[in-house]
Amino acid sequence: MTPILQQFLSEARDFLQSISEKLLQLEKAPDDAALMADLFRSVHTLKGNSGLFDFPEMSRVLHAAEDLMSAVRDGRLTFSQQLADRLLDAMDFVALLLDEIPAGTDASAHAPASVSLAASLRELIVDAQQVDDEQVHPGEAATSRGSAAAVMLPLDAVPEALRAAWREAARAVPLHWIVYTPERDCFFKGEDPFHQARQTPAIVWQRVKSMEVWPPLAELDPYQCVLRFDLVSGAARAALDEHFRYVPEQVSIVPLTLQVLESGLVTASAAEGAVHAAANNAATPDAAAAHDSGNGTFALTSFAEAILAAQVTALSLPDDVAWLPGRVRAIASTLAACFRSSGRIDALPSLAAALATALSLNRAAPLRDWVTAHDALQVLPLEATTQSKTANTSAPAPDAAPQPVNADIPGGRRPDDAGAVLKVDQTKIDRLMSLIGEMVVAKNGLPFLAARAESVYGVRDLAREIKTQYAVINRIAEEMQDGIMQIRMMPISGVFQRFPRLVRDISRKLGKEVLLTLEGEQTEADKNIIEALAEPLIHIVRNSLDHGIETPQVRRDAGKAAEGHVVIRASQDSGRVLIDISDDGKGIDPAVIKRKAYEKGIIDEAELERISDQEAVNLVFAAGFSTAETVSDLSGRGVGMDVVRNAVERVNGSVSLTSETGKGTRICLSLPLSMAVTNVMVIESNKQIFGVPMDMVLETVRIPRGAIRSIKNRQTTVLRNRILPLRSLNEMLAENSPQVSNELDEIATLVVQIHGESLGIVVDDFREVVDIILKPMGGILNAVPGYSGSALLGDGSVLMVLNPKELVSWQ
Amino acid sequence: MAMTYKRNVAHFSDTVGVAEAEGFLAWLQKHPRPKLDLTECTHIHAAHLQVLMAAELPIAEWPRDESLTNWLQAALR
Repeated sequence: MTPILQQFLSEARDFLQSISEKLLQLEKAPDDAALMADLFRSVHTLKGNSGLFDFPEMSRVLHAAEDLMSAVRDGRLTFSQQLADRLLDAMDFVALLLDEIPAGTDASAHAPASVSLAASLRELIVDAQQVDDEQVHPGEAATSRGSAAAVMLPLDAVPEALRAAWREAARAVPLHWIVYTPERDCFFKGEDPFHQARQTPAIVWQRVKSMEVWPPLAELDPYQCVLRFDLVSGAARAALDEHFRYVPEQVSIVPLTLQVLESGLVTASAAEGAVHAAANNAATPDAAAAHDSGNGTFALTSFAEAILAAQVTALSLPDDVAWLPGRVRAIASTLAACFRSSGRIDALPSLAAALATALSLNRAAPLRDWVTAHDALQVLPLEATTQSKTANTSAPAPDAAPQPVNADIPGGRRPDDAGAVLKVDQTKIDRLMSLIGEMVVAKNGLPFLAARAESVYGVRDLAREIKTQYAVINRIAEEMQDGIMQIRMMPISGVFQRFPRLVRDISRKLGKEVLLTLEGEQTEADKNIIEALAEPLIHIVRNSLDHGIETPQVRRDAGKAAEGHVVIRASQDSGRVLIDISDDGKGIDPAVIKRKAYEKGIIDEAELERISDQEAVNLVFAAGFSTAETVSDLSGRGVGMDVVRNAVERVNGSVSLTSETGKGTRICLSLPLSMAVTNVMVIESNKQIFGVPMDMVLETVRIPRGAIRSIKNRQTTVLRNRILPLRSLNEMLAENSPQVSNELDEIATLVVQIHGESLGIVVDDFREVVDIILKPMGGILNAVPGYSGSALLGDGSVLMVLNPKELVSWQ
Repeated sequence: MAMTYKRNVAHFSDTVGVAEAEGFLAWLQKHPRPKLDLTECTHIHAAHLQVLMAAELPIAEWPRDESLTNWLQAALR
């Protein structure tokens, strides 16, 4: 994968994210023009970027999305839920394609999906256009809709002998008529339409025409493509589609059936009649179209094209005649009628302006310029027809897809506001991270070296100098470590931003009304923590929506607002990230939980009587627990809250849940800010040293041996008027020696907290607290329970770090 | 060079690219009665095709490449 592709992928994902965010915001504020412009720009840039690569499927969908957005931005279309749905679908499709790019999957399999998505987007533009038409000219819209389904074939340009031959040939192989109208600026995209046309498989006949009257050579711009290629090919439809797969919107492929070949004659002669009529300025195309649409094979666009050409010819006549104003006026009214019947009413005001200019100057040129500027009329209907055709939709075919003539100018490219932000591959940061870890270990070796210099070699001065040097290196290493940690810090908004969409989709599926509030999105935590948070949070929010929030009717009956409220709040508190998810739904009923838990055998009868409501509510964290009456695709499979708890505990976090029946549920997640450096207390037991994570240690106490009592074979003591169960570490590790006490016959006890309960772990002695880089155990050792991992100490020895939770539950 | 000019004769050879269309157009304007020799030509870029169509010039020598000749005749006829 090339670097530029990598960059495209990462940028594209950002764009998709911001596009869907903006779409959701727009649903709330459909009239926000600035937001709309912003959204358009994102889609526009993404489309532009995708064009750098060979992803026609992606570009096609994005192009259609861009057209749609541009229609909305220009006020030709109002933002609707349906529109948002389709755009979101389109963005999901693009995301799917993006995901497949690294795997190198051939995206052409998605071509049909791409075409139908693009068509469904364009359909919205067309629908709106037709509504417009019907409002302004009720009669014409119906006419143009009926006739636009047919494609104009200039069969009259083909000698009758050839047509007869085709009729013969069409009996044997299917012939296709291809109309290829390249984009005006296609040369700047590195395209050679002539080459493209020449390479078309199995060409039977070809014709090249200009869509405009050629200007004098001095005014000719050879780099504006105004060509139109007409081809007849004997190749299969699939081969033709494949050949033109990069420019499907510029190509229209019509099967040349016998029927078409016959009726084409009718079309051709009728079109000729129309040209004459238009040239005489006697008939409006409306009348002609209305008249001819009866035979069903007629295309309004053929008129429009013919009429426009005739007007240009008329306008190019010398200006030195007395009746020029009359001629200009007549031509202008013809043009107005022509554009109106094609649905391009947006062009009319500028036509009136051009007419006024022409009259005041007594010259035809302004009007001719106007026609040249608006000749998109000829190209677009073909494009639109192709789209609806290939998608096989029965939706009304567009008569003219609206597209502002200078679509690219207002949106423009956003000035690069990335500024000083650097995007770095995560593996590079991880490498830095492990290097600084080694650096910390190496640095911690210096004090040992100083001690040896003094004790073994007896050079005290050198020892002191080493210590001074160590202090300097130590400071730098700590700052470096801090700096790298900062790089890995990410705002939690990365996880939060997917929730608006999730909540919207789920609540609509469930028929509930939910308002989501996100707070503290700027709270930062280590990347790994943030990533570990995503899954549990989604589970929790789903649960809230599915089980917590009631349907609007139930809520109203209960005297609450119909709209449920879910709040996700993140904050930082002394080295930990707290995330608080609360809803104002029906809450968890402890009685129901107790009954369910008993039915599922999670608790026995005695426990059923004994446990408090709070404890009962916490039973939802037990494995295999589910209260949902039916299994839905959202939740209720019994893999809910225990998965959440496990995921959170894996990154040394904790979950707590409080709920009040009828008022709502609140779940708090507490997670460390970073997992990279662990603060451990070193303890000694049976002449070995072990580490215990500091965040589990409540306190360290020395208990006189006399204060230890045995209750049912279990040692306990009383610490500040509370009973504290004691466990010997040697015993838990299956070592056969008793714990050693100090000279005052006190035993060292580490008080830890496990699942909210205090436990005293009896060890031989306490040592210092150190910062270590904890490495998880690999290979066979990975399966050994009771240890979180290992770390290297400054003197090169290995410190095994205990996991008290596992140690206790494993017994 | 895919295009060479000798007095009032323009020779096209092999594939004539897009970049030369502008020069060709300028040359045409300086030479009122040009002769075009496309014998050795296999393909011209669409931009050239446009210039040829706009200029409506007779082709002195049609390309030896049959397919190109067919196309050019279809376009310039």
